[in-house]
Amino acid sequence: MLVLTRKVEESISIGNNVTVTVLGIRGGQVRIGIEAPRDTPVNRTEVVESIARQNEEASRAPRDLDQLKDTLAAGFRPEKT
Amino acid sequence: MIHIQTTRFGEIELEENRLILFPEGMIGFPQMKNYVLLEHKPGSPFMWLQSAEAPDLAFVLINPHLIRSDYPRQIPLHGGSPTAGEDDREPLVFAIVTIPPGEPGKMTANLLGPVVIDAGTRTGKQVILADSGFDTRHQLIQE
Repeated sequence: MLVLTRKVEESISIGNNVTVTVLGIRGGQVRIGIEAPRDTPVNRTEVVESIARQNEEASRAPRDLDQLKDTLAAGFRPEKT
Repeated sequence: MIHIQTTRFGEIELEENRLILFPEGMIGFPQMKNYVLLEHKPGSPFMWLQSAEAPDLAFVLINPHLIRSDYPRQIPLHGGSPTAGEDDREPLVFAIVTIPPGEPGKMTANLLGPVVIDAGTRTGKQVILADSGFDTRHQLIQE
């Protein structure tokens, strides 16, 4: 991992299109501003990891969904519109 | 025609234009980029997103608007904010269903990370609805 030291309001460029700026530091928290192209997803890493774990679990779905369909039909409570 | 090997459905034969490219793969599965959408059964709320490359990789999908009427209907494939309006040209939106082994009554839907598919260009992407308040384990059946 590349480690750089930056002061408040200083920034880092990643490639030609991404800029990360330190906006402020208070206590143990750092506020970071990120400028990136719209099609570059920017997310908190723990959120991405939670979705990766959920995908992993979901990918082990059973072959036969018939029982699932019946279970859903019997117990599904969609929200009222 | 293309032939796809699957562990759940055996070998399936499809028109080549049924392939959907996920340029970045699914989150956690960046290597697998080609999928096909398969119907479960007529009248079923479920669909399958089957990998064309990994026979055992498939996801169960459901229309999230069946679960939450206020779920966003327009989720741009290439950034921008999700909105509630309807537009026929907008990409299709699906939630991935997780089925705990032996406990189908505890199935959940991932509303935080929907799958968005542009039927026109046949490309797809898993999008994260950051700060939306939706979660990865929304119970489908209320106890």
